[in-house]
Amino acid sequence: MSLTAVAAPMRLDAQPGEVIERGRPLSFRWNGAPRVGFAGDTIASALAASGVRVFSRSFKYHRPRGLLSASYHDPGCMLQVDDEPNVRGAHRRLRDGMDVASQNTWPSLRFDVRAANQLVGRFIGAGFYYKTFMKPQVLLPAYQSVLKRFSAGGRTSPDDPRDYYDKRYAHPDVVVAGAGPAGITAALAAAESGAQVLLVEEEHDLGGHLRWGGTEDLARLHQLRDLIAAQPAIEVMTNSVVVGRYDGNWLAIVQRELPHACERLVKARAKVLVVAAGLIERPYVFQGNDVPGVMLSTAVRRLINLHAVRPGHRAVVLSANPEGDAAAEDLARIGVEVRRVLDVRRGEDLVAARGGGGVRSVQCHDGARIDCDLVVTAAGWTAPTSLLNMAGDKPVYVAEAARFLPSRLPDDVLPTGGIAGTGDTDALIAHARATGAEAARRAAGRGEAVRIPALPAGRHPEHFIGRTHGMVDFSEDVSSKDLLSAAREGYDSVELVKRYTTVTMGPVQGKLETVNAVAVLSRATGRTIGETGTTVWRPPYAPVTLGALAGRILEPVRYSPMQRWHEAHGATPLVAGAWIRPDRYGDPAQEVRNVRERVGIIDVTPLGKLDLRGPDVPRLLNLLYVNKWSKLDVGRVRYGVMCAEDGVVLDDGVTGRLGEDRYLMSTTSSGAATVWEWVEGWLQTERPDWQVHVIPMTTGYASMNVAGPRSRELLQRVTEGVDLDPEAFPYMHVREGRVAGVDDCFMWRIGFTGELSYEIHAPAMYGLHVWETLLDVGDDLGIKPFGVEAQRIMRLEKGHAIVGQDTDGLTQAFGAGIDWAIKLDKDDFAGKPELVWQRDRDDYFVLVGLQPEDGSVVPPEASQIVEGRNVIVGRVTSSRMSPTLGRSICLGFVAPHLRAAGTRVTVQLPDGRRITARVTEQHAHVDPEGVRMRG
Amino acid sequence: MGVGGAHDGSRNGHRPTARYSAFALFTRGLRKSPWPRAWRAHDLRPSYDVVIVGGGVHGLATAYYLAANHGITDVAVLDKGYIGSGGSGRNTAIVRSNYLTPEGVRFYDRSVKLYERLSADLNFNVMFSQRGHLTLAHNDSSLRTMRWRAEVNKLEGVDSEVISPEDIKRLVPYMDTSASARYPILGALHHPPGGTIRHDAVVWGYARGADAHGVHIHQGTEVTGIQVARDRVTAVRTTRGDIATPVVVNCTAGWSTLISDMVGVRTPVATFPLQAAVTEPVKPFLDTVVVSGSLHVYVSQTDRGELVFGASVDPFTSYSMRGSLEFIEELAGHVLALMPSLSKVRLLRQWAGLCDMTPDYSPIMGPTPVEGFYLDVGWGTYGFKAGPVSGESMAELIATTKTPEIIATFDLARFADGRLVGEKGAASVGH
Repeated sequence: MSLTAVAAPMRLDAQPGEVIERGRPLSFRWNGAPRVGFAGDTIASALAASGVRVFSRSFKYHRPRGLLSASYHDPGCMLQVDDEPNVRGAHRRLRDGMDVASQNTWPSLRFDVRAANQLVGRFIGAGFYYKTFMKPQVLLPAYQSVLKRFSAGGRTSPDDPRDYYDKRYAHPDVVVAGAGPAGITAALAAAESGAQVLLVEEEHDLGGHLRWGGTEDLARLHQLRDLIAAQPAIEVMTNSVVVGRYDGNWLAIVQRELPHACERLVKARAKVLVVAAGLIERPYVFQGNDVPGVMLSTAVRRLINLHAVRPGHRAVVLSANPEGDAAAEDLARIGVEVRRVLDVRRGEDLVAARGGGGVRSVQCHDGARIDCDLVVTAAGWTAPTSLLNMAGDKPVYVAEAARFLPSRLPDDVLPTGGIAGTGDTDALIAHARATGAEAARRAAGRGEAVRIPALPAGRHPEHFIGRTHGMVDFSEDVSSKDLLSAAREGYDSVELVKRYTTVTMGPVQGKLETVNAVAVLSRATGRTIGETGTTVWRPPYAPVTLGALAGRILEPVRYSPMQRWHEAHGATPLVAGAWIRPDRYGDPAQEVRNVRERVGIIDVTPLGKLDLRGPDVPRLLNLLYVNKWSKLDVGRVRYGVMCAEDGVVLDDGVTGRLGEDRYLMSTTSSGAATVWEWVEGWLQTERPDWQVHVIPMTTGYASMNVAGPRSRELLQRVTEGVDLDPEAFPYMHVREGRVAGVDDCFMWRIGFTGELSYEIHAPAMYGLHVWETLLDVGDDLGIKPFGVEAQRIMRLEKGHAIVGQDTDGLTQAFGAGIDWAIKLDKDDFAGKPELVWQRDRDDYFVLVGLQPEDGSVVPPEASQIVEGRNVIVGRVTSSRMSPTLGRSICLGFVAPHLRAAGTRVTVQLPDGRRITARVTEQHAHVDPEGVRMRG
Repeated sequence: MGVGGAHDGSRNGHRPTARYSAFALFTRGLRKSPWPRAWRAHDLRPSYDVVIVGGGVHGLATAYYLAANHGITDVAVLDKGYIGSGGSGRNTAIVRSNYLTPEGVRFYDRSVKLYERLSADLNFNVMFSQRGHLTLAHNDSSLRTMRWRAEVNKLEGVDSEVISPEDIKRLVPYMDTSASARYPILGALHHPPGGTIRHDAVVWGYARGADAHGVHIHQGTEVTGIQVARDRVTAVRTTRGDIATPVVVNCTAGWSTLISDMVGVRTPVATFPLQAAVTEPVKPFLDTVVVSGSLHVYVSQTDRGELVFGASVDPFTSYSMRGSLEFIEELAGHVLALMPSLSKVRLLRQWAGLCDMTPDYSPIMGPTPVEGFYLDVGWGTYGFKAGPVSGESMAELIATTKTPEIIATFDLARFADGRLVGEKGAASVGH
């Protein structure tokens, strides 16, 4: 016991409402030194009990800062706890073994050399940095590196682990934000009226200000808590905050420090939101109001009654309200010498507080100077209207109450308690009871919304700023003098002064300082507080970790059904959008040769596949593709190119007609989602009368391409019900049949690789079976798998452009060199007007085949084609060494005057060297006549 | 204090300015003498030679260059709110010129050059920090685009190069450059001259500079109509009275179509919200601007330690400037995909601005069929970084009535003639 007394000289004897467990001492470190506290302590209360008065240094002037509000929103108590920065020390509960350190101090909290800034304060007022370091510009980086050292934040490390965070959806009828007496009562009333209720409280325990009240308050607190515990329709979340209210009462609630997660984001679609956020006590602006030992009355009452901590020994109290008076009584009760109570209601005032590391004396309005180590202010209350603002409210200022009140809210948001008006606990509870019942009624949709009789605004002295200048924004070190000079320089609206001085932009986000800032500004401009208005409160109400917002990352990787096989056979993975694909199994050039000479197989499952059905499919195809589709016989496939309305190539692929009214459209792998949206967009918004059903089938089929001169021979061994004879199943046709014993497989004969090839689409669940069977049965034919890289080489040898690689965001269809496919004689199709213009202008860069004169040089893709010193006349879009030709081959864009086959162009390599390349006759470098694939 | 603030104002032309400097800070600090207003408030005059609608960086820069470069000082800048209340104060303050088309590179490079000397020109520190700009490539196609941009930039004399994951790790030790990342980083376009700037300071600096030349800045003055007689602009109607003028410049964003509608000029502009967010400060660790187009996110850290995040525009048109929960969820997920050790950093504030998107992701600048009505609109997500060059060009256009070469391709008629400019590739998320 005596040890505790030594370690905690400011700890009081047991208090009636204390939340600490004296039987559970905890040890922790503060700036390296061992300290002790109790379970139930906040970090700050344990430190205060052990005699700590200075918790941090201020942002700009490095003034020592102590406790101000002793709540989550205390600006002077942001601490580094282990690897976590910016921990709210006056809120976070103590845990055994915590390593706690002050932030923004150097070399130490006690002696901070940057406190020298205070001496030069008059030269570095608000916005001083805009007025210097203009010239020479070279000094700016040096200045910025100095500024960076002043950053008030905690530290992170690249080695910090990514911790576990979670998310949850909730569908309550009523969410009550704030569990003071009003919030609890509203929740109870709503539950009794049949609503499912979520009651959310920012602090660790329910009860709001009752917790630090007297005997009567405590009795009521226990009564309310018992009722909550007995009400099964209320889910209680403590240490949780409603941080955002978005359209449609979509609420973001953050639960902190759960057993299984650092934080959890609860997303709730509430039928009705009851805002019972209470009131936040605001600081009083006077000289020295940020000296450690100057505290708000609520801070004092929390320290004494919740944590049994003596806030000081000799106090002066400034009180404008009964809560201030109660604080003075609390102080007297625990034996603090209350040397003077200055009653604002009687015209008394505080002029200045003096002291360095802690307050030593105050000066009063009558000239009296009183020595003390604690100054308590109770100057008034700010309504934390953040959630109301997010619901569209513009709170109105009521001068006689010295506060803002809600004005207009949607029917699904109801304020109650202190935020809604003024009254004694009974009055607030009566209002909350009516509000809770009405919330339940509205949630159930029972009749018209009924207005709840408003609480009175109440009366309170307008006592924001005293007769001396003091701190307004404690996080940002912005004083009333700064605001005044900013207004004088023309930054005289609330938004401009905020941006110029950064007032209200710190971690507390204006909760303590907004109204004081507005009061200073209105005094400077001669406008009223109501005319000046406040800045917009933006979400979140309280900061949320990136971890909680991100939650578990739900961005699944997509694999084909054959992925296990690829992994087992040493495939190198390639990230392709959402998909992981085999890039290669060994040497891609060898894979190419095997396809060209024997037979290969590639997994092309990511190809987009849309099942289109209905009588209007041909009209749809005619509208979306640049070529013609009205005469596609059953059993045929056709290649098509799609353009956006600007004529820019959007996607390409083949579409086959499987039956009278049934088509299968394939898209590029990367374009699958875009094309689906594109098709649906046209059908739903432009052509809703067309009868077309669209079913995305991309993952419904496992797709594989069997390519090479022996592919037919291989398929003959495993195919039933399809005559593979070239006469019966020619190039650019589709057949349905049984492959490897699997029914309902589609095969189409197309030739992306330039070889005889069959693209097989098998029901996905049998994909691996079909794949393995083909490899098994084709072993003697020399079948080998090939990856994306080999396919890219072969398509380049064949001169097939890849949309997005050999076209770009500017490439209109004629520029892709596919004039043969563009049918401008069609009535209409997406992009037609732009393509007509393009053809008429005839001034576009066009895609051509290119071969470097020196076939051993492969110009890297994106190498520019140039003329003169730096005029860009084209670029290489694709380039590879061709294993088939033994030379480098390319596709690329060239300016109109370089289109002709045989033209020699200059390619500038990224290393600055220049080479010459020749424009070829066709895009295809290998088998331009297409003999092989038609075989 | 008097809002009229006629400390040292002359009705027309120049006024003696209180020059900003370290020395002046010192002497005024010693004497405790207050600084004069950075710009003055005026009564609305019945006529001006030029009326600029929109008191953002574009409008104020146009006014400044009209006065500074062309001696046209009888100019009014009108804003319905406070200056810089629109996109100028809502963007993420990134400046760069690593565009894709040679025209785009030249245009934005001119802007970077103007930004580089803006503090000195305006005698107002706009804190342009050329800390470097990284655009990450997570797949081979975006890596190819990065190379393309690097090659075009190099040929245009702009410093850009593709760097490896190892180089990225050296520049940004927090970046997860491992191959096992969900979106592995294959490389990046590094653009050393890119960086960040204090966006409000640019607005205030131009306002102060324009004011010093005699330009009138009218805040809280909403335009309610524009009068046209025989296809010529004659007057502007505002909530504070009417102004006779032969020249009206539409330098608005978000509501630009509503202003153009007042004279019957139709523009192919659709307005989308663009969201952004900022965290609490943590000790500075990120020196460069990091952009990932694939992940729709960009990140920079202010000198104060806050991380500033942005993304691509929302996928729907709206005039709403409220943030959404989905946005910060996706944003946080993608930031952590890049820098997993930041999970404990807290998001402090989110907001949105409005972006006027055109079909070709390029602005509309120049004269219109209505004589005297000029457009500087359609600035999408890239308006802030183009502020200086736009102001300079618009001023030249108004003063000379000849369209400067550098903005010639941005004329309104291109949409009717099918001459779209293409910057989609570099502009859509490339901040």
